[in-house]
Amino acid sequence: MSEASLTSEPQGREPGIAPGVAAAGLSPLLRGGWVFWLAVAVLGAIFLAGLLSVVSLWQAGFAHRAPWGYYAAAFSILLSTVGAAPLVSAGLRFTGAHWRRPLARASELFAVAGLLILAWFWPLLRLVPASQPQSSLWFGWPGAPHLWDTLVIAGLTLCGLALLYVGAIPDFAAARDQGARGRRLFALLALSWQGGERQWRALRAALTALGACYFLAFVLAQTLISTDFAQSLVPGWQDSLFPAYNVVSGLQGGLATLIVVLFLVRWWGGLGAYIGREQFWALGKLLLALCLLWFYFWWSGFIVLWYGRRPIEELVLQLFIAGPYLWAFLPAFVLSFLAPFLVLLWNGVRRSILGPTFAALLVLAGLLFDRIRLYVAAFSVEEAGPVLQALPAPRLPQAGDWLVLAAAVAGVALLYLLATRLIPSLSRWEVAEGEQLRVERAFLRRKVTVIAKPD
Amino acid sequence: MEERRILSDTEINLDLLAPVYGTPRWFWPVVGLLGLVVAAAVGAFIWMLTQGLVVTGLNRPVFWGFMITNFVFWVGISHAGVMISSILRLAQAEWRRPVTRAAELLTILALLTAALFPIIHSGRPWRTLYWVFPYDFARGIWPNVRSPLVWDPAAIFSYLTGATLFIYVALLPDLATLRDRSLGWRHYFYGALSLGWRGMSRQWRLQALVGILLSALILPVFISVHSVVSWDFAVATAVEGWHATIFAPYFVLGAIHSGVSAVVTVMALVRYLYGWKAYIRPEHFDALGRLLVAVGLAWFYFFALEFAFGLYGQDGPEVALREMVVFQMPWAGLFIVFLLTAFFIPVPLWLFRRVRRNIPLMLLLSVLVNIGMWLERFLIIVPGLARKEPFTFVWGSYAPSIVEILLIAGSFALVCLGFLVFSRLFPLIPLYDQKEGQVLRQEVEVGRARVKAVIREE
Repeated sequence: MSEASLTSEPQGREPGIAPGVAAAGLSPLLRGGWVFWLAVAVLGAIFLAGLLSVVSLWQAGFAHRAPWGYYAAAFSILLSTVGAAPLVSAGLRFTGAHWRRPLARASELFAVAGLLILAWFWPLLRLVPASQPQSSLWFGWPGAPHLWDTLVIAGLTLCGLALLYVGAIPDFAAARDQGARGRRLFALLALSWQGGERQWRALRAALTALGACYFLAFVLAQTLISTDFAQSLVPGWQDSLFPAYNVVSGLQGGLATLIVVLFLVRWWGGLGAYIGREQFWALGKLLLALCLLWFYFWWSGFIVLWYGRRPIEELVLQLFIAGPYLWAFLPAFVLSFLAPFLVLLWNGVRRSILGPTFAALLVLAGLLFDRIRLYVAAFSVEEAGPVLQALPAPRLPQAGDWLVLAAAVAGVALLYLLATRLIPSLSRWEVAEGEQLRVERAFLRRKVTVIAKPD
Repeated sequence: MEERRILSDTEINLDLLAPVYGTPRWFWPVVGLLGLVVAAAVGAFIWMLTQGLVVTGLNRPVFWGFMITNFVFWVGISHAGVMISSILRLAQAEWRRPVTRAAELLTILALLTAALFPIIHSGRPWRTLYWVFPYDFARGIWPNVRSPLVWDPAAIFSYLTGATLFIYVALLPDLATLRDRSLGWRHYFYGALSLGWRGMSRQWRLQALVGILLSALILPVFISVHSVVSWDFAVATAVEGWHATIFAPYFVLGAIHSGVSAVVTVMALVRYLYGWKAYIRPEHFDALGRLLVAVGLAWFYFFALEFAFGLYGQDGPEVALREMVVFQMPWAGLFIVFLLTAFFIPVPLWLFRRVRRNIPLMLLLSVLVNIGMWLERFLIIVPGLARKEPFTFVWGSYAPSIVEILLIAGSFALVCLGFLVFSRLFPLIPLYDQKEGQVLRQEVEVGRARVKAVIREE
């Protein structure tokens, strides 16, 4: 887009938008080069291959849970990565961190993957029993867990989409006013946004409310899914920390996903001027804190069960840690905590772009193993009764299971790529606002950054 | 209402050193009153030593009562210092400046007070040495290193050492200021403590570096303290309501909830007593209130999980314990007061900016939180021990005796007294931090508005 068209924007609307910000934010809308469509085709093919594997699972039926273990693990991975990624933007908006501005949209765009989470969830409903008074958080509540879990996942998806849409309204209006391709579509999406003071106030209030709702929905979803689709399937397993562990490891996964995507967006999305060392440094610190929290939550659960020495708790520890799934636990422990901790411990590494990205990749690999050891192990328990009697055999991934896992990743990437054609990948108005609130000034003998802090 | 006023260095020195150089009229009467309460507690303790634990309300099967509740409560309060100082310093939150010293001091005083209570509770304090130090070499009696009762002192004294270093390093520039503005014994006292501080750029760099390192290193210790205290209970499978995996983070969050609330109480009182309205401003209470909303909600989530998972397995004794706490008096009454004061009254009110900026109301709400959190610890510890089991011959219940009540009152008086004594010797608000805040303050023009701003700390 030429600078001439940018300068013709109506006076008094969106003051202070630098031409560079506008171009970076709006230029790729509704377009895509051959590389883009090639990526779409490859991801689509992987997704379809994974779908075929799901169809074969479906044909085998729902009488046995064990074959669906990797499908359930993939669902939990989706919820703990793309489901958590929008929280980074929402949380940082609450704290008023200015460095969040260039990454806000990249984070919120993951809300479109909520559609995949919702679709992925549906077959799982046939695999869990209706609520019983025992070993369930529902205590025999009507419709539980199927109806209520569905409502929570649907609520999470809708909340995320609303957060994404509301945050993009000023940018849709900018695309409408600057004559971007698809002007009529953007005019429809912009809802007659004129940028009046009342509209800005309403927008900010809505973003705060939706961010809070999304956070609550995420915590609720992780709590219910981890209990209904893992804990209640293993007779006698009673671990009050497990839902909170899922929330924390989910936040860690969401942050790691965002860091990896920011690296890609910076490299191939043309946002290198906006997403830089400042963002990776700050995100690296957060990831380090979450890696430590992962260990703390895991250890707090482990020590109490191990020290208690009750037979059922020893059996549960055998199942998830030392027994048939030791092959998954060890890499989960190393990749979720030990390796990223040792990488991110060093300020020089955190202050780079490659360092946090490498640590984020480790964390994502750790999450994969962690969810396999939890969900595949829980799904492989087929016995009923008050207490687990014997450990099931380990279930190693087959080719079909790998395809299911790959389909989950490809589906998310596909939806994300397509969404970037419609919604600017840079939150143009937030970046512009940040530029107004940040100035460089001379102070004594050096230049310093001054950050304005409006109430 | 004035939010931020330009203060000169001289003005800051005069205002914040006033309690060190002068004595307000209320000071000695308040010290006397607090001293009386402490003396009464010491008397009660001596009486207990001579008569034995029979003068307390403890009996079979309730062996842990008010004293252990108070121990857990004060360990919780001690989490305020690191929460405020360390995390906010690492996060470069500008509003931390007037709050840090009082929060760090609260940590030390609360920890010292907390450490007294297991020793008092033992009835024969000299025996507690056995928990920590191997003292009887001849007969080969050694502490059981697998016992949480060994981990407790290790965690508490590590935290105490770290917190003392933390407050001391932050005090250095202020000690030098005091040294340069005092005569006689005070000059030598502050001179020795200030370790030759001259305010050279290398000293400032080192002080900042040590502050950041201590902030980062003390965080794991901070988390470990209340986790270890929680495992005193959680690893015990025999007592209903105690064996829960969630206890460690649940205790830590509860500690932060009560600790930050205690900081609000202290800040409101200090502002009123010393007239530091230009330093401790409504914006600071606003920020603390927002922090408390987040902490309160997280704490409530963990409380809900702990309660729900108590019922999850439908285990008869566990369900019976919850029924007793929720439906049977006096536990039910205490449970309702606990829920209302710890969460349902303060947290919804803190959602409103006008409440967060109303200092008397913030004082009241912060006190309510700590009433609730004290009751929370009591309801965790005592009902599980007190529930009557079938086929057992021990059917005692628990009611605190006057000795225990005096000891609890004495602990609160002791912490207040510690604050007053500290304020006579050292500034309660860091002078250098205030001056740095003045230097870093800026304004930025956005459109036609002038917005307050700060220089970003590197």
